Amino acid sequence: MNAIIDINIWELAMGFLLLIFPMAFFYYFRIRMEKDVLINVVRMAVQLFLVALYLEFIFTLNNAWVNSLWVLLMIIVGVFTITRRVSLNRKYFIVPFFIAGLTSILIIDTFCLGFILKLDYVFDARYFIPITGMVLGNALNHNIVGLNRYFTSLTEKRELYQFLLTNTANSKIAIRPFIEDAARAALNPMIANMSVIGLVTLPGMMTGQILGGSPPAVAIKYQVMIMVAIFVGCTINIFFSIILSNRFIFDAYGNFKQNLIQQKKKQLQKK
Amino acid sequence: MNSSYFSDMIHFENISLSFSEKIIFDNLTITINQGEKICLSGPSGRGKSTLLNLLQGYVLPNKGKIIINGKVLNDSTIREIRKQIISIPQNINLPVKNGMELVELLEISQNLHAIKEYNQKLDLESDILIKDFAKISGGQKQRLLISICLSQPKDIILMDEPTSSLDDKSIELLINVIGELKGRTIISASHNQLWAKSSDKIIEL
Repeated sequence: MNAIIDINIWELAMGFLLLIFPMAFFYYFRIRMEKDVLINVVRMAVQLFLVALYLEFIFTLNNAWVNSLWVLLMIIVGVFTITRRVSLNRKYFIVPFFIAGLTSILIIDTFCLGFILKLDYVFDARYFIPITGMVLGNALNHNIVGLNRYFTSLTEKRELYQFLLTNTANSKIAIRPFIEDAARAALNPMIANMSVIGLVTLPGMMTGQILGGSPPAVAIKYQVMIMVAIFVGCTINIFFSIILSNRFIFDAYGNFKQNLIQQKKKQLQKK
Repeated sequence: MNSSYFSDMIHFENISLSFSEKIIFDNLTITINQGEKICLSGPSGRGKSTLLNLLQGYVLPNKGKIIINGKVLNDSTIREIRKQIISIPQNINLPVKNGMELVELLEISQNLHAIKEYNQKLDLESDILIKDFAKISGGQKQRLLISICLSQPKDIILMDEPTSSLDDKSIELLINVIGELKGRTIISASHNQLWAKSSDKIIEL
């Protein structure tokens, strides 16, 4: 395989010209998204360049403590993003979501890096950082969807929860449909994605590896492993987040504590 | 007064409750004996459903206490109290496709025989349990929900607007079924005159 062709900065800048198409649509249909798109595209580019600089540094250093610290930082940023996007009262949810994220990463990384790839040095930045990042990144998106559904349902379908709680006198049965609903909302898109992968979509990791010079057969094996890892990581993350949250989101009478959801969300629900 | 005095009844003692500025109950005291059929009546917003919610611990009074079969309702007794209560809401959106799935969700498959008996008494077809909720009428769904809930061997039955989707014939059937439930306490919130008249006592709120 040939070495990857590098893109110089001007060529990369030319790539931004593609944005003319969405901008033209936004302009034609009077959709005020231009500013949002431009700000976020620039933000994405700046963030990725900074990450590239940082990754170059930590790849060279390749120190277990530094790499672990980076992963912890990713988990913390993820936790803050979830609480903000789901409009949850941060002080209650930071610890359970952090534990859920950390647990999923510990299980996935131990299994993938330790048992499957059998790395001599499991904290090797080349494997540890990207695999953890992919699992956490995907878990973040799906967790937001699942947890949003969970807390919204508990608020909006209070009558159903109370009906089940009184008639069964069992809180585990009463929250079961809500957990199922949240799990489906979080995981269904991923299951659907798995069913069309390779046919309709070519996943980023595999494409990246092929572009980087790996034979497709090797790239596919990594992709299969990472797909399973992402699915399992997301599942562990969403279930742990819910299980740990359940310990404090209900009062002694089993009523859902609505004050844990921020005012902004309550107002939106009233509308 | 000693709570053991109310060992076979439901007692609301000096209940006061307000939401924001609105006073719902002000020193309300009600005693309901075991086996009584009570209908809570009155215009909307007077606290009929709230009273049912108070009994289940979903609304807590600002003042006063509720004693159910000798136990003061509080955070340590609520689990035991709920074990004695059946709650039949009106027009609830259920996360299941049919009655059978609801039976499974409530984990009361052992009650299937009783459910079928109630179905028969409420003039529901024998295969109603497996019929899609989307394909049966509101009245059929309400009667089926009542059948499923009543099949639980619990002493206190709370019914919120049990006749809201029923025609007069179905209301008569339901009154007959409820009349046969000897020894079980029924507390319902209803605007329906036919239903109210069939109760032992009407409490005007």
